[in-house]
Amino acid sequence: MKRLSGIKIISTAIGIMITSLASAHHPIHGKFDPAEAMQLSGIVTKVDWRSPHVHIFLNVTNNNQPVNWAIELENPSILVDNGWKEDSLEPGAAIIVAGMRARDGSRQIWGDSVTLADSGRQVYSVSSKAPAKPLTGRPVPRWPSDNKPALGAGPGGIGGIWSYPSEKALVEDGVNISMNEYGLLDNIDDAARVAPMQDWALARYVHRQQRQLQDDPTYLNCKPPGGPRQYQSDLGLQLIEDKKNERIFVLLGSGNRNYRLIYLDGRDPSGQVGGDDDNPLYYGRSTGNWEGDTLVVNTTGFNEDFWFTNGGLPHTNRLSMVEKFTRTDFDTLHYEVTIDDPGAYTRPWTASWELSWLGGKELPFSLCQHNRQ
Amino acid sequence: MYKGLIKGLSVIIGVVFLSFGALAQEGHPLKGSWIGEWSGNTTHGDFVLIVMDWNGEEVTGMINPGTDNMEIESVELDPTDWSVVISADGYTIDAMIENLELPSRALSGSWRSSNGRGDFEIVRQ
Repeated sequence: MKRLSGIKIISTAIGIMITSLASAHHPIHGKFDPAEAMQLSGIVTKVDWRSPHVHIFLNVTNNNQPVNWAIELENPSILVDNGWKEDSLEPGAAIIVAGMRARDGSRQIWGDSVTLADSGRQVYSVSSKAPAKPLTGRPVPRWPSDNKPALGAGPGGIGGIWSYPSEKALVEDGVNISMNEYGLLDNIDDAARVAPMQDWALARYVHRQQRQLQDDPTYLNCKPPGGPRQYQSDLGLQLIEDKKNERIFVLLGSGNRNYRLIYLDGRDPSGQVGGDDDNPLYYGRSTGNWEGDTLVVNTTGFNEDFWFTNGGLPHTNRLSMVEKFTRTDFDTLHYEVTIDDPGAYTRPWTASWELSWLGGKELPFSLCQHNRQ
Repeated sequence: MYKGLIKGLSVIIGVVFLSFGALAQEGHPLKGSWIGEWSGNTTHGDFVLIVMDWNGEEVTGMINPGTDNMEIESVELDPTDWSVVISADGYTIDAMIENLELPSRALSGSWRSSNGRGDFEIVRQ
């Protein structure tokens, strides 16, 4: 078995190499340990403002010797959305940082809070709450041609995107489970309640959770956020209705600014007009129709190369989805998805959440491939 | 001589495939094409290829498709420890999945039949 062991060593080494090369962006608990809380005080030496994560470099005096630490923060797009700029913090500033230390013991921490030492003012703070909506719900915009609800800005409207999903990971409707923004369960014993998984799927989900989601191919390899995951990103999405050609473009702010097409022209679910050679896809093949004010979309033809939700629930190529999009008022999109995957689940199940309208906002220029630089 | 040459070339091809990395497979962990060895197998040779699929109820597949063609009769996967038992044409393979989350995960263990037994190790391509 000497030769085979060599092959395995090579494959394992390649896997580890890929993992380490691609570890630039990540669910934070994969890299940082919430059980290792720490606080640092020091002088800023540099602010490195780039995707996928902003870093502050900090000189901390230890035994009269300056020791440099790296403080990792959110994506620049998210910081900008919260009103921060690259020069909101400048070298020479004295700051206090509270956060959690890197699991590998290196001098890195995730910055939960960054406070100016002299004034006590917080910088680079981030809110995950959607902007407040008008007290009185504004009416849904409609297309004059067919009186259907507009899923975007609508006729004559200014641009905008849908963002701030009220749920960040798939959980069956009616089940109340606590998890973080990356879909990491607060209590692993809740795993079996998330969705009606087959035994192997549950075991694989638990394994991914126990590894703190560090194997997520969306972060490791820039795999597209296919399936319902595209509606779980804070980077948002845009729905462009091409009425003339009876199709809808779903433009994503996450991943590599991918797009997905939903055809409303009555075609078979075969992808583009000439088909797609029956290749299974990240976003599948989607056809839709209106049922009253709700757009109903059927999608099949998924590959198995990606995680279809934050948190790592598995799926197979037998997955089919029925999505329902309902704009309940001007500022709210209700999204509902029914998962039917007899390869991974014991029965069909449904999850739903809402997205908020950010009028006038454009998709952030955040490319996953930039993470590789 | 030819047998040795073919085996050598196959291993080289396998390593070349590995150097490009296996295709991702985030669904059922046994699904895919696997290449490796069942060492000491005087009947079918040390080199083995296995193709497996998952239909939602059972794992199906073939050992050495196109050459020795042994249809897999049953596959038992225990997800509590990721142990696997494969039965085909008088063979029983007991193995464990290693590096579960890597596309190039491995199945490592032993094989046995009425003609012998030995180590078993295959890597997903």
